Amino acid sequence: MEERNKNARPRELSFVVGGEVSIRQDPWWWLVVAVAAIIVLLVILWPVPFREIVLFARDGILVTILVTVTSYVLIIVVGLLGGLGRISKNKLIRGIASLYVEVVRGIPLLVQLIAWYFASPVIIHKLGLWLNSQPLIEYRANPIFTAILAITVCYGAYMSEIVRSGIQSVPKGQMEAARSLGMTHFQAMRYVVLPQAFRVILPPMGNEFISLLKDSSLVSVVAVADLTRRGREFMSAHFNPIETWFMVALLYLVMTIVAARVVSYIEKRSKYERY
Amino acid sequence: MSGPIIQIKDVKKRFGRVEALRGVSLDVSEGEVVVVVGPSGSGKTTLLRCMNRLEEYEEGTIVVDGMTLDSTNTINAIRCEIGIVFQSFNLFAHLTALENLMLAQRTVRKRSREEAAKVARALLAKVGIPEKAEAHPAQLSGGQQQRIAIARALAMNPKIMLFDEPTSALDPEMIKEVLDVMATLAKEGMTMVVVSHEMGFARAAADRVIFMDEGLIVEQATPSDFFEKPREERTRLFLSKILHL
Repeated sequence: MEERNKNARPRELSFVVGGEVSIRQDPWWWLVVAVAAIIVLLVILWPVPFREIVLFARDGILVTILVTVTSYVLIIVVGLLGGLGRISKNKLIRGIASLYVEVVRGIPLLVQLIAWYFASPVIIHKLGLWLNSQPLIEYRANPIFTAILAITVCYGAYMSEIVRSGIQSVPKGQMEAARSLGMTHFQAMRYVVLPQAFRVILPPMGNEFISLLKDSSLVSVVAVADLTRRGREFMSAHFNPIETWFMVALLYLVMTIVAARVVSYIEKRSKYERY
Repeated sequence: MSGPIIQIKDVKKRFGRVEALRGVSLDVSEGEVVVVVGPSGSGKTTLLRCMNRLEEYEEGTIVVDGMTLDSTNTINAIRCEIGIVFQSFNLFAHLTALENLMLAQRTVRKRSREEAAKVARALLAKVGIPEKAEAHPAQLSGGQQQRIAIARALAMNPKIMLFDEPTSALDPEMIKEVLDVMATLAKEGMTMVVVSHEMGFARAAADRVIFMDEGLIVEQATPSDFFEKPREERTRLFLSKILHL
């Protein structure tokens, strides 16, 4: 038991958390360093306007990260439910999940964002009048909340498909073996099928995160003060589109390539015992 | 417990148009070792899978250890008593050998981690590979994987063990190590139903050999009678095809 606790568990843990991330193993980290260095140099050498842009957009960066990370956590939950729903034996559940995926995938994220932002308050207002409920009548759209909701609904559909494909990639014999040992369907999913599916879908899940980080810039059209919107505000105030968007692009780039490195690292680690 | 531990009465099963089982009746007594042989497509694997309801059957009844296999609510309880070993091993690929043996003990039998590990280590020793406890299935040979699969089923302390062509996916040099484990189990008095092409094992370890063809039991006899003086023409034909090799 002792040697098992020493060897098996930490390896499992570091596989998820990420262990050490070494530049020697992955030269693409130099790109991260280079982009970060350019940002720092610009800020030091030309404080006007670059330092001003970064300071101005600082809270926007935080909003972008907040929207991305919060949505991502919710997307994983929705994706898990949607993916399990898509392969459910219950026709009703499978139908609902499939309808959700097919409908949502066919509508552009930007349209969904705008629809949630402008249409949902009207619907809730009408509902409030109908139910005679004061808080619903007085409801006003909270931009960040609505944005996270719209992104979660949209990306949840894509994540559902990823989860479904992952579960279906696990050989049927695994479920059969678990069930024949007396485990319930839920136990077999929880302890046998999902852990194996998870390893398969880690790379596409990581790619979703990077896409999400970029697509989060769309929330700027529904009054969320993210990095993109703060950039636009700065440009309007100072009339320097070239410097502003150069810096905004660099800031997005440094975030996405860090995320890409982490994804690639996790992908490499998860290969250690593919069968 | 009185009467046979497995009672199969007139079971029928079809896959679409194909009649896999066309009315099979079979009783297996406690401690008996039954080897089922027959050409591929004869329904022997389907019959075995019906015994723990991995396949549903349409007609007839199967009673295992006093429990009828028909209502869904008792199936997990019955399955604890029936170990099954698959042709393709089906070890849990993400777990070590030891964890493979412990998982169902913990989740189904609700044993403590210490107790489950103790049972698991004892069984790994029994199947002859205690040193592989920390290995993952992908790091093991087919023979080792199948022995661990047998140990995993035994860890639940089943009353019956089912074997579905346990050596068919193995390289020739690994077949013996698996058959040896099975022969030991048979000697210890385990009730076993074995679908297999290993006639040597049938001769040595079986109490009864059953020959199936086209979804029916054609003949059943003791191994010596079965191999020396088969009664049915179809049995003779089958034996002549496989035994001259």
